[in-house]
Amino acid sequence: MSSLKRITKELNDLGRDPPTSCSAGPVGDDIYHWQASIMGPPDSPYAGGVFFLSIHFPTDYPFKPPKISFTTKIYHPNINANGNICLDILKDQWSPALTISKVLLSICSLLTDANPDDPLVPEIAHLYKTDRPKYEATAKEWTKKYAV
Amino acid sequence: MEIDVNTLVFITIILYIFYSTPSNEGITSEYEYNQLSLLKNQFSIEYNNFMNLTYDSNFKNITGFKLSYADAANDPNTTATYPLDGKDYNSWYANENYMLLPDSIINIINDQVWSRSNSDLSNVFPANISTTMYGSIINDANSTEHLTKIKMPIPKFYNNAEHLGDINPPIGDDYVEDDEDAYFHKENVTFTKGEVTISLTHVDKLSSKPKGRDEKYFNTQSDKWKFLETVIVFNDANENEQRTIRGKAIYDIQRGRIVSLTQSAKFHSIFAFPHYSSMAKTEKENIFKDVKQLVSEYWETLDFVETLKATDFEEWGTSGESLCEYMVFLQLEPWNQYTKEQLKIIDHELKWPTGLPANISSIPPIRIESGLIYSPDCGLKFHLDNVEGVREEIKISSARTLLLFLFFLEAVQLYLLLKQMQFTNTPSSINRVSFYTLALLQLIDATLTTVILILAIAVRPIFIASMLCLLLSFSLAYVFGIRYLVTVTSSQVNEQNVGIMTLLRRVIREENEERTVITEDLSTISSGLLGKIYFSLLAFMMFLIIASSWPKNIRKIVEYVILFITNSYWVPQIFRNTIKGISPLSARSNQNISMQRQNGIPLLWKYIVGTSVIRLLPIYYFFANPSNILRHHTDLKFVTILTLWLSIQILLLYSQDYFGSRWFLPKHAIPDGYSYHKPVLSQELLEHGASENHTVDCAICMSEVPVYVKDIPETHAVDQQSYMVTPCNHIFHTACLENWMGYKLQCPVCRAPLPPL
Repeated sequence: MSSLKRITKELNDLGRDPPTSCSAGPVGDDIYHWQASIMGPPDSPYAGGVFFLSIHFPTDYPFKPPKISFTTKIYHPNINANGNICLDILKDQWSPALTISKVLLSICSLLTDANPDDPLVPEIAHLYKTDRPKYEATAKEWTKKYAV
Repeated sequence: MEIDVNTLVFITIILYIFYSTPSNEGITSEYEYNQLSLLKNQFSIEYNNFMNLTYDSNFKNITGFKLSYADAANDPNTTATYPLDGKDYNSWYANENYMLLPDSIINIINDQVWSRSNSDLSNVFPANISTTMYGSIINDANSTEHLTKIKMPIPKFYNNAEHLGDINPPIGDDYVEDDEDAYFHKENVTFTKGEVTISLTHVDKLSSKPKGRDEKYFNTQSDKWKFLETVIVFNDANENEQRTIRGKAIYDIQRGRIVSLTQSAKFHSIFAFPHYSSMAKTEKENIFKDVKQLVSEYWETLDFVETLKATDFEEWGTSGESLCEYMVFLQLEPWNQYTKEQLKIIDHELKWPTGLPANISSIPPIRIESGLIYSPDCGLKFHLDNVEGVREEIKISSARTLLLFLFFLEAVQLYLLLKQMQFTNTPSSINRVSFYTLALLQLIDATLTTVILILAIAVRPIFIASMLCLLLSFSLAYVFGIRYLVTVTSSQVNEQNVGIMTLLRRVIREENEERTVITEDLSTISSGLLGKIYFSLLAFMMFLIIASSWPKNIRKIVEYVILFITNSYWVPQIFRNTIKGISPLSARSNQNISMQRQNGIPLLWKYIVGTSVIRLLPIYYFFANPSNILRHHTDLKFVTILTLWLSIQILLLYSQDYFGSRWFLPKHAIPDGYSYHKPVLSQELLEHGASENHTVDCAICMSEVPVYVKDIPETHAVDQQSYMVTPCNHIFHTACLENWMGYKLQCPVCRAPLPPL
């Protein structure tokens, strides 16, 4: 199967040249189910936290995007309580040239620069736009509570 | 804008005032109240007169019947002031000294129209004759002697108040002056032969309450006499002159005779039915008595005087001022092939179908054996020829059958559309489907939906059948049709503002111009598209409504042009095939099935043929069946041309599939299409960061792609078909990119649009 070959290839590349702030690998024997972790970016309220994500590859990967969600609770305008991420490249802007490490990097930059104009949690987005210090305080508090 | 409670209450009150019905039934001044009282008073007096009438006594001062034909003919200056000097009010004879008809017409009625003897009751006539009949009308104005126009004054109290403070309307009668503005000149009929439509509706139940509450049967002799409402429309062949006669009528079931009279402010004809139904020499007394009873039952049940409203008053006034009065005498053809008992069963079966052995389909049409139309105040006389129509119930049941057929056709069309949608499930194949072909089909379906919707609302008895059809045609036009249109549009957004030659070359982005890649999402596309579709549908419907009031021959041309255009729906697809390019069947035969699909014609053959047949069948029905339900004229020539035109379109589509879509273009006119399989230059290889063994990485499977490089001989063993170069110069394995193109026509690396395969 072509998806298996490509996922294995990505896994090898990750091992050979690991990205700085994230890591990823399969859970158990199932190569289609991965776990990943992201370090909270230092210039963000998530600094110091480690966030875990679960990755499910569809069988027609890389023609369909992988399903990625946070398993660690996080206070972010584009990530809801179930850990679902609102990111265009995981939906209609997916391209087969994207890889898991590129997607994880995109999620990292989403943590630094949230996109409050296309929010998944409107309350957080509202706070982000109107009362930035309060948003940052809550995010820091959540990071301390759930991700340290 | 914020709306608070106070504003809301205010708006509600204003709306209530605007829309609540006025309690005084439209009377706005004391003057109008007095006008209405005068009319009621006049009617009461006339009704008392009527109740005292006998078969051998004359009308006294009943509006419209104060003069007889002879009075008017002998003395042109006579006025209709009751009582006339020397007029015989105490006896009645059926001749021009007593009637509004000249002797010549009375003779025609007695000898030709109602030729059967009054006492001959052996003929059988249907009791229920609700129908619309069609036939010819012949104007006798040129062939007979000059007819005197009998003066019919309108009471002066119908006039509007002259001064604001007037309370009492004037007394007396107004005579229409004999100048060219007079209604009897304007309403004159000049054609000699024309078409006539006669609609008969039974009035079995009446109510004195508004909005028809508490309706009850009023006719105690309903086995012998029926009360009808008639609408007679006649016009010349070009519809330049058209007259509509609305009247009440009495139908003599035993003798198959109908007398219909118009009513207005100058002609209170309701009181004349007994005398005008009993013109023949025998049975006078009985007929007079029966009809008088029917009229009085009608009058009493309706509570005629008390229920008169200001709106009725206005109606009587305006029709009196502007329209001719008519008297219509009809003789139905007997249904002697049935017995009276059989007719009863048929009537019952038509009203409440229970499956009795009544062979509904063989019921003959209702035919008028002979008929005469006469206008006493305009001096017009017509006779009818060959007027017939099927009974309303039969028409409705055949309408139901037709709707059922339509339902079936729509179901097949829906099935074909769904199959077609399934067939073009890849961006490459859907990209080849013509938007305009689908839009034209959608326009037809949407128009049909609107027509069925109107039908469902307007024609009560076929409500359920129309609703069924509506359900299907709605989902066909507005659910799946629009859905498919949206998909097709979204697969072609990148082609917007791109010239045809560019499309022919298949390269979307030209090197010297920077085009932004449009990545609209489906919801933006569909909302924009829906707006356009609804607007064009609305414009089309408006056009149809406007066009329906144009003169007959122009209407016919418009109809033919519209039918021709709407039946050219494969033309845009042929055009698109030419642009997009389809390789000939022979070139495709060695490819695998999915590739054959992607490179062939994007429409299923069963969809093409099925859609054409489904859309031709209704046109065949209306243009080739002379007894079609809408009485549409037959035109076999047009149907043949239309069929040929559609066959040519289908043949062209087939030839494109067989010989390739550009076979009819000369070779030099066809620019080369974009080819994904081509050699790579060595400098390009460097740009891709090529490794030593002359390969590049495929971004999709992340493994190496060997490429054919022109200036490096050792790469020449590589098959150029094994990799693909996009217009944006990215290289992928053929299998990888073709697979991805099944999802999206976009370069995986730079998101530039990809020309479809």
